[in-house]
Amino acid sequence: MARLIRTEKEVEGRYEEVWLVVEEDALEQWPTGPRDVVGRPAERLDGFERASGQAVYTADLDKPGMLHTAVLRSPHPRARATVDVSPALGMPGVHAALGPGEVEQLSAECNYQGQAVAAVCADTLAQARAAVRAIRCDFAVLEPLLDPDEAVRRGELLGDPRVRERGDYERGLAEADAVVEAEYRTQVVLHNSMETHQAVVEWTREDAVEVHISTQYVWGIRDAVAEGLGLPADNVRVVCHYMGGGFGSKNSPDDYTFIAAELARRTRRPVKCALTRREENTAAGNRNATIQRLTVGARSDGTLTALGGEFVNAVGWGGWSSGTEGPMQMLYACPNVKTTTYGAKLNLPPMKAFRAPGFVEGTFGLEALLDELAAQLDLDPLELRRLNHAEQAPEGGEYSDKNLLECYRRAEPHWERRHEVRARSTGTVKRGVGMASQIWYGGGGPPSYAWVRVGSDGRAAVVTAMQDIGTGTRTAMAQIAAEELRVPLEHVSVSLGDTDRGPYATLSAGSSTTPSVGPAVRAAAADARTQIEEIAEQRGLPKDAPVAAVVDVLEDAQILGKGARGPNPTGMQVLTFGVQVAEVAVDVETGEVWVERIAAVHDVGRVINPLGASSQIEGGIIQGIGHTLSEERLHDPATGRLLTTTLDAYKLPTIADVPEIVSELVDEPDRHLTNLGSKGLGEPPIVPTAAAIANAIRDATGADVRQLPITREEMLRALREAEARQKEKVGAPAGV
Amino acid sequence: MELRQASDTTVDGVPIHGGTEVVPLLRAGLLRAETLVDIRGVVSRGVADGRIGAGVPLAEIECDPQVPEVLREACRLAASPQLRNMGSLGGNLLQATRCWYWRLNWPCRLHDGDECFAREGEHREHAIFANDFCASAHPSDVAAALLALDATLTTSRRELPLAGLYRLPTDDDRRTTTLDPGELILDVRYDKPDASVYLKAMERKRWAFPLVGVAAVRRGATTRVALAGVAPIPWLLDGFESAAPLPRNAYKVDVAKALVKRATAAVAG
Repeated sequence: MARLIRTEKEVEGRYEEVWLVVEEDALEQWPTGPRDVVGRPAERLDGFERASGQAVYTADLDKPGMLHTAVLRSPHPRARATVDVSPALGMPGVHAALGPGEVEQLSAECNYQGQAVAAVCADTLAQARAAVRAIRCDFAVLEPLLDPDEAVRRGELLGDPRVRERGDYERGLAEADAVVEAEYRTQVVLHNSMETHQAVVEWTREDAVEVHISTQYVWGIRDAVAEGLGLPADNVRVVCHYMGGGFGSKNSPDDYTFIAAELARRTRRPVKCALTRREENTAAGNRNATIQRLTVGARSDGTLTALGGEFVNAVGWGGWSSGTEGPMQMLYACPNVKTTTYGAKLNLPPMKAFRAPGFVEGTFGLEALLDELAAQLDLDPLELRRLNHAEQAPEGGEYSDKNLLECYRRAEPHWERRHEVRARSTGTVKRGVGMASQIWYGGGGPPSYAWVRVGSDGRAAVVTAMQDIGTGTRTAMAQIAAEELRVPLEHVSVSLGDTDRGPYATLSAGSSTTPSVGPAVRAAAADARTQIEEIAEQRGLPKDAPVAAVVDVLEDAQILGKGARGPNPTGMQVLTFGVQVAEVAVDVETGEVWVERIAAVHDVGRVINPLGASSQIEGGIIQGIGHTLSEERLHDPATGRLLTTTLDAYKLPTIADVPEIVSELVDEPDRHLTNLGSKGLGEPPIVPTAAAIANAIRDATGADVRQLPITREEMLRALREAEARQKEKVGAPAGV
Repeated sequence: MELRQASDTTVDGVPIHGGTEVVPLLRAGLLRAETLVDIRGVVSRGVADGRIGAGVPLAEIECDPQVPEVLREACRLAASPQLRNMGSLGGNLLQATRCWYWRLNWPCRLHDGDECFAREGEHREHAIFANDFCASAHPSDVAAALLALDATLTTSRRELPLAGLYRLPTDDDRRTTTLDPGELILDVRYDKPDASVYLKAMERKRWAFPLVGVAAVRRGATTRVALAGVAPIPWLLDGFESAAPLPRNAYKVDVAKALVKRATAAVAG
C-alpha cells in the first residue's frame, strides 16, 4: 500500500525535508554471501559497445540539419560587458546569435571567469567560433575578490556560517594532556570528464523539446528545463544513454542547455552546444579549495577529549558550502566537538559537487591531524583510531549498520607491512606506510521505480529511466533482475536514460544509484517472478521450472512486474565506512613523492558486482592520487584569471603514476536497509586517499605535509621544517 | 591557410614537420601562418655515428644504440609515446616555452609587452637563472642533452654550436633563438662522450615538461652539465651562484643541486 511520509532526504551530504509516497518493501533480504548472479563478477553488458565506439554519446550526436554553438565567455573574474552581437549575424554560416539577457544564463554582469555572455550558432563549429570572435564586446574590468579569509572578514558568504557543537569544547581542551593545532589547505581540482558538458536540443513541436544531454540526472534536467522554458514537464524528453564521466558536475542543465534550447527555438533546427576542453576546465565546476584550522585534544592514552575546527570553503561565485567539517563531527566518539564552517563567495568559477564533496577535503585535514597527534603521543595510528571508534553515531541516533572495526581488522596485514616497507629505505629514498579512515553517506533513498518485462522467449528487460554514468549501473541492475527472476544474466537487457521510456529513478550522484534503484529493480523482478510461478502452477510445472519453459506458450502476452524503492530505516544513520593503507616513497633530496601500493577495505553493504566494485575503488584511488600529488587549478594571484585550462598545464595522473591497488569489501548486507542491504561505492574510495598518502609520508620522513597537492615545493618545505624541529629537540637539553 | 610540400630547403612560410608544437600554437593563435610548408621530404631522417638528421622522430632516437645515453634518455623522458612518434629532433629544439602567461597570450615581454607576469604571479614552474627580464623556462629535454654534448648544428644557411641557437630575450629583441625566418635545422653533430646521463624532475611520472632536467657529459676529465627548465634558454651550468630564484620556485635550486650531484657522480670515470 502506498504511504505518504514526511522524511529527510540526503544528497551529497545535504539534507532536505520532503514529502514522499513510499511503498512497503515486503521482500526479505537475501542471506549474506554470493548468489547465482548477484555477488559474482560480471563483465559490463555494454563493454563491447563502449570499447568499439558503437555506443552513442551526446558528443557523437550529429542530427540532420544540426547547428553548432560557440559561446563568448568572460575572460575576467569580475567585469561589466558591453556587447553588440550583430556583427556575428553577418558571418558565414551563422543562423542566430544571443546577447546578454536573451536567455537568463547570458549576462553582462560577469562575476567569474567563464560567465557566458553571448552565443552564436552556425552550420559548423568553426563558423560559430569565427562568428563569436566577430562579436563587439568591451569588458570594464573590476577588482575581483579572491582571498577566502578576506571574504569571511567582509561577510561575503554563501549561506550563514554553520556552527555545529556538542559537549563542551573548551572543557574538553582543558582536560587534554596533549593538544595539536594545525592548518591544512586543499586546492581547487577539476572533474575533467572525458566527455565535456554538452547538450543537443530540438523542438519537436511548438511546445515540446527533446534534450540529449550528458547528465547524471535525466529527471532533474527534465524539470529544470520545463521550468526554465515554461513547459509542462512531460513536454520535455531527456535522453542520455551513455555518458563520458560526470563525477558530480553534471546534475543540472546549466548555461549550455538553455543556450541550445533558445537557439533551437529561433532556428527551428536541432542545436548542439558543447563545451571545449578549455571551457570545461573553466566553467563546468570544480572541487573548491579549503582552509582548515584544526585542533585536537587527547589524554595521554589517546582518548579524544576535544575536536575543533574553523573551515573556510573557497566556494567561488556559486554552489554551496559543503560539509568539510563532516568527518570531524561524525568519525570519532569524541564528546566535545565544535566546528564553524564558512562558505567564501569569491570571483572564481562556481564549485560543483565532486565525488564526496567536503569529505575528501575534511578527511585529509582530520586524518592527518590525528596522525600528528599519534606521533606526538607515540601511539600506533591504527590503535588510536580503534580506541576512539564510535559505537553509536556521535551526533545521536543508531547506525543502520557499521563494520568499520572489521575494515580495520582486515587492514591489519597491510598495516603490518610498514616494518618491511620502512626497511627498504635508502640514504635518499625514504619509505613509509600511512592509513586513514573513511566515512561518507551512500544509502540512497526513495523514490525510484522500475518495470520488468518478460516475453515468451524467456528473456527479460528492465525498464527504468535512470542513467549509467559509467560506473556499471546497467550491469548491476541486470544482475539483480537475473537473480530474482532466476534467468541467466545474458537473457536480461536494461533500458535506461530516457524520461519518455521508463519510470522515475534517482540521480546518479551521492553514491545513491545502486542503493536507490537496485531495490526497485528487485521488487519489480519479484513481482514478475510471482506471476511466472503462478503460471507454472497453472501449467502443472514445478515452481522452479526454467522461466523459458514456463512462458514459452505466451506468444505475444508479456509478464509485467513493477517495483518501487521502499523507505530508509526511520531514525537511523545510513553510512559507508572504510580504511585505506598507502605505501609511499619520498626522495628527500628532490622532494619527489610516489605511491607504491594502496590497500583499500570498504564497507558498503552487499556487493552486487565485485568486478565493477573493484573498478570503482581503483578509479577513486587514482583520482585521489591526482588530487594528492599533481592536480591543481591555478589562477593568477593579481587578476584571478585561470592559468591551467589545458591538459598539459593541469596534471592528471598518468598510468605510470598508478600503484598496485588491492581492494577488499566487507560485503555484509546492511540488515536495516532495503531488500538488498546495498550501499553506494562511487564516492567512498576517493575519501581517505589523500590523508593515507600524507600519513605515509610522515611515517617515511617525519615531515608533516599540510597542503595539497604535495608538490616538490611543499614536500621540501615540510622536510626542512621537520629537520629544524629535530635539531631543536636535540639541541634543547644542551641549553638546559 | 595553405599547405605546401617543400621541394628543397629554401622555405617560404612556416615550416611544419611532426606538427606536435606548430599545430597547437596555430590553434591557440600564438603562431600565424598564411602558408605551412611540409618539410618532411627535405630534412634528413638518418642516424649515423655522431650525426642525427633533424627530421628523426624522438621515438627513433631513444632506441638507437649508437646515440649517447644522455640524448636517448632525454628523448625517453620527453612527452608521451604518441608525441615522440611524431615530434622531430629539429622541432623539439625550437619548442616555445610552457609559461602559462605566454601560452594564454598575456601581453608579456615575449609577446612584445612590457611586463613579465610570472615574476609577480604564478611562477612555480619558471626560471631560476637569467629570469630578470623574462622568467619563462625552456622546456626541451633534448636541447639540454645536446648542449651538454656540445653539439654542432647545420642549418640551411650555416653551421653553429648548439649554444649559438639560443639567445636570452632582451628589451630590443624578444626572440629566444637566432634562427632567421625560413632557416631550417638540417642535422646535429657531436663527438662521442666517454659517459653521459640525463636526469629529470617532473610533476608526475611521465608526460610532463621538466621542472628541472640535468644532462651531464664526460669526455676525459671534463664534465659538462646543462639544465632544462631552469632558464628562458637551455642552460649551461656554471655553478649556482648566479641562481636568482623567485619566491615560489626556490625549491628548483634544491632539486637542481641534488640532480647535478647525482648526474656528475653517475658519469664520473
